[in-house]
Amino acid sequence: MTTTTYATRTAAGALAALLLLAGCSSKAKDDDSDKQSAGGVKTGEGISGKTITLGALTDMTGVYATLGKSVTQAQQLYVKQLNAAGGVCGYEVALSVRDHGYDPQKAVSGYTELEPKVLGFAQFIGSPFVAAVKQRVDGQDKGLVLPQAWSAALLGSPYIRVIGSTYDIETINAVDFLIKEKGIKKGDKIGHVYFEGDYGESALVGSKHMAKEAGLTVVEQKIKPTDNDMTAQVAALKQAGVKAIVISAGPRQAASLVGVAAAGGFDVPIIGNNSAFAPQLLATQAGPALMKNYYVASPSLPIGADTPEAKKLVADYQAAYPKDALDNGIVAGWTAASAFGEALKKACKNKDLTREGVDRALLTINTFDLGFGPTQDFTDPKSASSRESVILQPDKSVTGGMKVVREAEASEAAKTYNP
Amino acid sequence: MSEALVRPLKALSTRTYLWTAAAVLLLALPFYLDRFWLQAGLFAMAAALGAIGINLLTGATGQLSMGHAFFLAVGAYGYCVFAADGDDGLTGLGLPTWLAAVLAVLVAGVAGGLFSPISGRLSGAYLGIATLALVFIGQHVMFNAHDLTGGANGRDVPPLNLFGLTFDDRELLVAAVPFGSAEKLWYAGLLALLGGALFARGVLRGRPGRAMNAIRDHRIAAGVIGVPVARYRAAVFVLSSMYAGLAGVLLALVFQRTVPDYFGITLSLEYLAMIVIGGLGSVSGAVAGAVFVSLLPQLLTRYSDALPLVSAPGTGGIAPGEASRYLYGAAVVLVVLFLPGGLVRVTARRRTRTLTEER
Repeated sequence: MTTTTYATRTAAGALAALLLLAGCSSKAKDDDSDKQSAGGVKTGEGISGKTITLGALTDMTGVYATLGKSVTQAQQLYVKQLNAAGGVCGYEVALSVRDHGYDPQKAVSGYTELEPKVLGFAQFIGSPFVAAVKQRVDGQDKGLVLPQAWSAALLGSPYIRVIGSTYDIETINAVDFLIKEKGIKKGDKIGHVYFEGDYGESALVGSKHMAKEAGLTVVEQKIKPTDNDMTAQVAALKQAGVKAIVISAGPRQAASLVGVAAAGGFDVPIIGNNSAFAPQLLATQAGPALMKNYYVASPSLPIGADTPEAKKLVADYQAAYPKDALDNGIVAGWTAASAFGEALKKACKNKDLTREGVDRALLTINTFDLGFGPTQDFTDPKSASSRESVILQPDKSVTGGMKVVREAEASEAAKTYNP
Repeated sequence: MSEALVRPLKALSTRTYLWTAAAVLLLALPFYLDRFWLQAGLFAMAAALGAIGINLLTGATGQLSMGHAFFLAVGAYGYCVFAADGDDGLTGLGLPTWLAAVLAVLVAGVAGGLFSPISGRLSGAYLGIATLALVFIGQHVMFNAHDLTGGANGRDVPPLNLFGLTFDDRELLVAAVPFGSAEKLWYAGLLALLGGALFARGVLRGRPGRAMNAIRDHRIAAGVIGVPVARYRAAVFVLSSMYAGLAGVLLALVFQRTVPDYFGITLSLEYLAMIVIGGLGSVSGAVAGAVFVSLLPQLLTRYSDALPLVSAPGTGGIAPGEASRYLYGAAVVLVVLFLPGGLVRVTARRRTRTLTEER
């Protein structure tokens, strides 16, 4: 028994000592959040010494591995060029990358780890994970987050800013293309094959909205990301007599859908969201069918676009990463990093490089144009930064495997649409 | 554990000191570690609770379960449904949060009980396959029952509120150290883990534990000596589900948002890996395995810059995520080959060795 009392006493003593010591803990509160640097620029979290650190939460080992790799490499390229040109305000910009492998626990941990050290996030793949930290971003962290997810559910926060049109708007523009260019008219049926979850359901909201506006009927086919064979869906849609198909799924599903439809003589136009295509598909058996009947709606021009900026990006990217394929993830990553860079430069001009300063700076950017199609307007957190989509067609002979068939434009329905 | 009775007083007191030191250390950590480490520790605590549950079921009673993730999800979403006030347009009953946590654990137990007609009839790999179905059904429901679960983007978790203390991110100064949700939850997590571990130890060391081991080793023989096999198997399934439910509640509180992607088949497999690596059939084994499996990937990601062979993402080479998977696999193989009793056997073996030497 003496042992126990002794132990209790030791424990109590240790605890008391501990509370005293805690005062010396590095976590103890002191006021040094806002610093003033020599040039009179206000700085805060994410800036130490002469470096501005930006976070990137990517997926290099999970389901979006190909996208994550392109986006990250493009952003690393941007940061390198930005630093070579003198950085921002005399600060060098560094990118701190964490791979979460599309695992919620790792994504949230990565955010928790990086958050105290970075000014904001130039990349965050996976809309469920962005939603998971939304409370913290809005409530206390208030750093700028640019997610690589085009879900309408992410709109509305002044700190989490989606770049480009969201999936619902993109799908409205896609259906508009079917109506204007492919002869779909009032009373027709269109099929919509979509992923269960955020991306597909967001797109479905768009196609249903457009169907109501234009008097069409949507035949829904919900699939899981693990479904790779679209034979059953094609049969069902053929049975229902649809005149065109929208697909909001992955590249594999799109290839299967287009290939099976072509093989069965089911000759209807098929249009997908920007995630429903990868240039690698053109080398498969579905290649010819894709080039004939398949279109893709995208928030930006493709990587192989005929603009000087695109050509320069392709050349620089190939010089830096000669072994890697060119796809639209590069454009997405480049655009996001540039938007962040632009906000930083503006914040530097305002002499306020704190998180609030950068948030405010982005809110004043209303004509952001990188030479990749639509200009972006970041002034309203409640709506997408652009309502325009570019319609692309797969083409083997073009860099990046896609050519433009309709330049960036917003359909009437997309302009008036309010989610 | 008859050895505890005959252990000399000296050994007992050293152990007490060790326990006291460990307890003081654990209590002190929130004052020093930053949020990342506390969160990692909380994930480990939640995993330990879940692992204790599956160790009771799989390790002690020999019932293979691949459906543990489902019961975690029931706990996590159950808590949200009971505690939320319905402001976000999703179903919420607005109950006091402590009651919601208790009810969520009970609901997980009921879910386990409802499954017991199946779990009572199947065993071995067949039970594994049947429980696998639970994970898929669960994920389908989580993605589609939008009013209850919020669909693919999940739903917000209301912060726990105990005796007027809210476990949220509003800062609370304790000895000049700001306490956010991670610091406050740390103590709640420790308490839950301690309670859960002691209860499971009691179960395993008492009459039910011996009955469970008898069922695992020889079901028919256990029945012959008078163990009500079917009832025990159902009961242990319910108990294990309740542990999973508690782990789910804690996880939800740490995440602050429940997302369906988390509760997939990989999670179930991770729990199995935890008890295999840690040691089948014991509480300390479950805790050791849980800490190992849940901290390893976080450590590797955090120190990816400094480790040889592991490269920063985007520069080619092995990404930290992949490296931790390789290490996992290697750990499972090594444990099965060289430590059939799991990590806890290392310390247990040393303890018995010193005891025999002393004699």
